[in-house]
This record gives sequence, structure tokens and C-alpha cells, in this order.
Amino acid sequence: MAVSTENVVAEIRGWLQENVTGNRDVSEDEQLIEKGVLTSLQTVELVMFMEDRFDIVVEDEELNEETFASVRTIADLVTSKTG
Amino acid sequence: MSVYAEFTLHDLLHNSAERYPDKAAIVDGDSKHTYEDLSRQSGALCAALQDSGVEKGDRVGVYMEKSWEAIVAMLAASRAGAAFVNLNPMFKPPQVRYVTEDCDIRVMIGDSGKLADLEPKTVERAFYRGDRPDSGGVTGELTDLDEILKNDNSPREVRQVSEVDLGTILYTSGSTGMPKGVSTSQRNLVVGAQIVSTYLENTEEDRILSALPLNFDAGLNQFTTSLWVGATLALQRSRLPGDLLKGLRRHEITGVAGVPPLWSLLLRSAKSVEAEPLTHLRYISNTGGRIPQANLDELRRLLEPTGTRIYLMYGLTEAFRSTYLPPGEIHRGTECIGKAIPDTEIMVINKQGEECAPGEIGELVHRGPTVAMGYWGKEEATRKAYRPNPLAPPELLDVEKVVYSGDNVRRDEEGFLYFIGREDAMIKSQGYRMSPEEVENLLIGSGFVHEACAFGIPDPDLGHQVVAVVSLKSDGQEGAIDEIREYAVNNGPPYMVPKEILIQDELPKTGSGKIDRKGISNAYADR
Repeated sequence: MAVSTENVVAEIRGWLQENVTGNRDVSEDEQLIEKGVLTSLQTVELVMFMEDRFDIVVEDEELNEETFASVRTIADLVTSKTG
Repeated sequence: MSVYAEFTLHDLLHNSAERYPDKAAIVDGDSKHTYEDLSRQSGALCAALQDSGVEKGDRVGVYMEKSWEAIVAMLAASRAGAAFVNLNPMFKPPQVRYVTEDCDIRVMIGDSGKLADLEPKTVERAFYRGDRPDSGGVTGELTDLDEILKNDNSPREVRQVSEVDLGTILYTSGSTGMPKGVSTSQRNLVVGAQIVSTYLENTEEDRILSALPLNFDAGLNQFTTSLWVGATLALQRSRLPGDLLKGLRRHEITGVAGVPPLWSLLLRSAKSVEAEPLTHLRYISNTGGRIPQANLDELRRLLEPTGTRIYLMYGLTEAFRSTYLPPGEIHRGTECIGKAIPDTEIMVINKQGEECAPGEIGELVHRGPTVAMGYWGKEEATRKAYRPNPLAPPELLDVEKVVYSGDNVRRDEEGFLYFIGREDAMIKSQGYRMSPEEVENLLIGSGFVHEACAFGIPDPDLGHQVVAVVSLKSDGQEGAIDEIREYAVNNGPPYMVPKEILIQDELPKTGSGKIDRKGISNAYADR
């Protein structure tokens, strides 16, 4: 399933707002792990959402702070898998 | 070589620096720091703290991500005879303000970004790590920590620091009200390290992964243990499964302590561990709650074949550590919390103040050298938790204090203890304790909430899920929940933000007019 980057970004931002930040929108480059926006358990929840929504599998090794640094880096991971 | 008897945290440093000057004490990312470095740099920072007016008995705050500098800061404060206060790096400015006021912290050692965000006039003096911050919440002088750590200044002589002096204050939440500071003596710190490393059989050969926060007693204990035996402590900030596994492999870790959610995260990497077992890992220890049986079974399946031993521990900040279940007894099930740690007596006391018979449920009461000094500035709460030993002969008067845990347990015929639960409303989520009021105050602070009721719903991975039912100040506010959530995320640590916030017109009250927390949480669970 090919999905556009814009679409992935929008979906992830939507999930973050709904499940984490409430009213506040999260920008594409906001540092999610470093700034403590996402806890590790929330990150795992986000992964489960992504696996389900985009029909992808995120490997254990990919679940690290570089790949999940920001909405942009997460979207890159998704698009690299949905190609 | 001069090895001293060990009475204080910095005595532990002294001896390890004498024995193993060139050995890596701390690994932080790509940098390794020796015991010699730890001795010199904590001396330099101690001198700077003294120059800035810190005296014996003062409190020094440490508000930074887990790092080499955070380790140096604790030892520098200890050498100055001051107590260090590690603030949870997840804290937001309101929680920092609360703690600095509660125990009168005037000097803070912190990350630039965190210092810059503080509310005005939070502290007087600060040492910053990183770029020079705007004055932020600091009224007085700001000093570059990096510059200080480069110099060779030595501390001035201070009045004797004794084992009965205050070593640190550990902030922890109880079942009611705001967090309390557990005043922990130098002796508590040293004995805690010695006791735990006795049963974990730690040696200087160990490479320990520090994955728990340093403001949490078990996380701090890993550092003190490592310092005592002269082991290497690798600092692990990210708890994401990929990073955890990388840390364990890269540093050839021999021991790691965690809380139940950490094991859930690690177990996501089960496939990788199967393919390439963690052969260096000598032990793991769990604390801070019961591991779900399925997760424990999975950990045993993955780790035991290559020789990793699993220790289940139980402790409360008020007495540092209390019990452990030896690895050979792990078949007793996850409710079993084992027996008392060395040099410690655990009593099970019933409502009449008598020792329970086997099988009878009573409160766990801890007696021994890790019993802390009490709650900082909270006399009534201290009297309630720290009481005379109920089983002491009256001739000993009431000089000795024991800790009443608030946890119900029972003991079997063989002397093993089993955790039953608590009668109060304390919430424990993601390994963090919090009282319902802390969550409620956070939500009310948003300005939208009239009344709030927070409670924990049992969750196998998290411990509790935080849920809140609120009534609003005015009706029909579209999107109020999102506004409340936004406020809570910006002003509270992530684990305190409710997973679910529900709106109700009015919250049910008990006969005495208080919000009926039990009724509301039962109604939620039954819905």
C-alpha cells in the first residue's frame, strides 16, 4: 500500500493530538523523545497504531530514539516500508 | 593504598578511586569516565559549591537528564556535607517549584533548557550544563558546569560528615496529598548499597545498566552499589526496545534493574534475544510492582537458559529496600516478594499491633538500617509511617523507629511473604507513584475543571492506568477535554496525564460531602 508522506505525517500528528497532547498540535520537527513529549510506552502504542493503520511491521531494532525522534523521522520510517 | 571504613557516599568513592583509579566508573554514551575522573571532578564541583555558599546541611538540587554530570553532582554535594535532591527530569516547572520550596533548595545543578523554563525565582544560584540559559527561574549567578569540571580545585575541609547526616531527599508520592521528601541518611545510602550487592553478588567485574531514574530509590541504589563494588555503570536514557537491547549488547551488561513496564518493552525484542542471547547478562532484578505472570514466564524462557538469574524485589522509598525473592524460588509466583533483605527484619502486623500468624493478612512493617529519617518537614505524616517497633521490649523505650508500609501482605509457613494489595487510593503507573490529588490538582489547574476525581484502573503493563472524571466550570464547553489535556501535558510529567478524561455534570459525594472516589471508580470499572 503506497501512502503519501503528507498523509502519514497527518495521521501521526492526529494520533499524537488525540492520545497525547490534546489541543496542542505537534510540529513535524518537534523532538518527541528528547523533550519528553512521548514516553517509551506511548511510543510503543504509536507503533501498534502505525502497524495497524499502514499495514507495516516495525522491527525491534527500529524502535529507537533516532528513528522516533520526530514526526518527520517516524514518517520516513513508514514511507520506507510502504514504498 | 588507604582504604577507609565506609560511612558516607563519598567514602565509597574514595575507596573505589584508591582501588581502581583507571577503571571506567561511568559510561555515558560514547564517553567513559574513570573513578579517578569521578574523584577529581566531584572535588572541583564541591569546591565551586562551597564558593557559592553551600554549607554542610544545605540541600542541592540536581535537575538534569541522567548523565555523567548528574553523577558528579551527587558526589560533589555529598563531599560538601550537603544533601543532594534528584528531581525527576520529567518534572515540569510547577513540580520543580514545589520541591525547591518544600525542602528549600537554593542551588540547582541542571540542564540549561530545564533551568530556562523554570518559573521566576525558583532558585537563587545555578550551575548549568549546555549553553548559557536565559536567567529563567534563577535569581542570582549562573555558572557553566563544564568550566568548573575542567579545573583542579579541591574542596575545603568541612565539619565532619557523619553517617547520621542527611545524604539525600527522595521525593515520592503517597496515597494522599502532594509528594513527600523521604530524608535519607548517609548511612541509609551506604548500607543500602552493601545489602543489595550482597545478595546480587555484585563485584568490580560487573557492568550495570542504569535504566531507572536516579530520583527513584532503586535507580539510585544501582549507582551506589556500582560505586561501592567498583563496577562500571552504563547510563541508559532511552527505554525504547531497540535502544535497550543496543545498550545491553554494546556494554556487555551483566546486571540490570527494572520496573514491570521496562520488561514489557524489553520483551518486544524477544525475537532478537532468541537469535542472539544475552550471554553476559548475569542477573535482572525487578522492583516497583508485580510483573504479569505471562511476562515473567517469557523472561525466564528467554534468559534463564543462558544463565541469567531473575530476582524479584520489593522496596518502599521510606526504607529504601525491603525484601527479595532468590532466583531459585521464582516458581512461587509473582505475588511472592520473598524474604527480608540481609540485616533487616520484616514483620507482618495486624490491626491490633500484634504479629500475624502464618496465612493471616497484615501490614508489612520494616525494621533495619535502611529505615530512613522521616519525611522532610512533615511531622504528622512521619509519625504515622515511622513508629516505634511494636515488638520491642518496653525497656528499650521507643528509640527505634520502624516503617509501616501501608502494603498488606501475608506470610506462609515457610516464611515467604506474599503481596496482597493496599487499602488506599495510591496510583502507580509506569513505575511512578502518585496520589489522586496530584492528578486532580493538575487538571483543576487548567482552569476548566470544577471538580476532579482521579483513580487507577489495574493494567497488566502499566500497573495502573490513570483515569479522571471531571465536572466543568461551565456547561457545554466544546473541546474542553482537549484543552485540559493540553494543559496537563504542558504542566505535568507524562505519567501523570490521565489516559482517559471523562466529563460528568456533577461528581457523586459521600455522606460527609467528599467526592466519592470509590463509587466513581467502581462505576467506571463496571461500565
